[in-house]
Amino acid sequence: MRDKVILLVEDNPRDEALTLRALQRSKIVNEVVVARDGVEALDYLFGIGKYAGRDATIIPQLILLDLKLPKVDGLQVLKSLRADERTKRVPVVVFTSSSEQEDMIKVYDQGANSYVRKPVDFEQFADATRRLGIYWLLLNQVAPE
Amino acid sequence: MICGAPLRHIDGFSLALLEDYSSKLDDTGKDFLKQVREGSQEMGRLIDDMLQLAHVTRNEMRREKVDLSELASGILNDLRMTEPVRFVNITVQKGLLAYGDERLLKIVLINLLGNAWKFSSKKTAAEIAFGREWAKENGPYFVHDNGVGFNEAFAGKLYEAFQRLHSASDFEGTGIGLATVRRIINRHGGNIWARGKVGKGATFYFTLPDANGVKK
Repeated sequence: MRDKVILLVEDNPRDEALTLRALQRSKIVNEVVVARDGVEALDYLFGIGKYAGRDATIIPQLILLDLKLPKVDGLQVLKSLRADERTKRVPVVVFTSSSEQEDMIKVYDQGANSYVRKPVDFEQFADATRRLGIYWLLLNQVAPE
Repeated sequence: MICGAPLRHIDGFSLALLEDYSSKLDDTGKDFLKQVREGSQEMGRLIDDMLQLAHVTRNEMRREKVDLSELASGILNDLRMTEPVRFVNITVQKGLLAYGDERLLKIVLINLLGNAWKFSSKKTAAEIAFGREWAKENGPYFVHDNGVGFNEAFAGKLYEAFQRLHSASDFEGTGIGLATVRRIINRHGGNIWARGKVGKGATFYFTLPDANGVKK
């Protein structure tokens, strides 16, 4: 379980750095693979494009997904990975700065496991990241394959 | 919110410095970072307030029956929760109905009651009241507090954006709240005015046309 990868899908390098730091501080030791747009995320998951040749039967332990992404947005990434047999049960936590109620419903409809709004107050964001990280990686069992 | 992201980063990296490198910073250095964080958080509130001010004139208005008393009680409960140790004598007249856009009228009450809460904070026996004067037809609603008040000579400046009658060190605020309130009341076809005296509290009055006298 330890060596399983966390896939972080985030295009903003500063958010990436802050998220990585929050993971580190919560003592999460998993390798983190960063995809910087929706296409890269799907390439990684399905072992195509830039990641052609990667063994796509090895799935990430957790996906942290930003909603606003270049090329293919987060909602579409979620849709695509839920439609695939290999990735349909991966826990997905959506990070977003959008506070729209409408977005939240759509995100859950597409099969997100949890939704964290990026608050302007960073402490809350860091707390949420840490809590979620521990929750999913240490407490929650991945659905049986 | 899109403009919130860079501010979240300034705040976030300042916090990271404070947490990860505190052993390498002396007290002055830590204090400077604290100021950076406070500044970015204040900027965040300012942007939120400005966006709200812009939105209240653009979004379409819906008119419906709104229970202002219920809204006011809810807002005051929230305020109480932010400072549970404060004692404030609160009076809310029950069953005050109005016709207007509930979301916008809530912004009005959040601002007026929030101000009453804020400007009575240095009072040991603070009083806040929400009600309506029934003496004349279509009497005004009012929000009263017995706090620091204001000089009526400056009453005209109350509703100008960024105009503040108190220093930021005494009472925090962005100076946009009352500008927003007046826009909302005017959009409903109503009026707003205030009475006050330095050290003797303030009362804000506003009118809203009833269901029959709807003005566009």
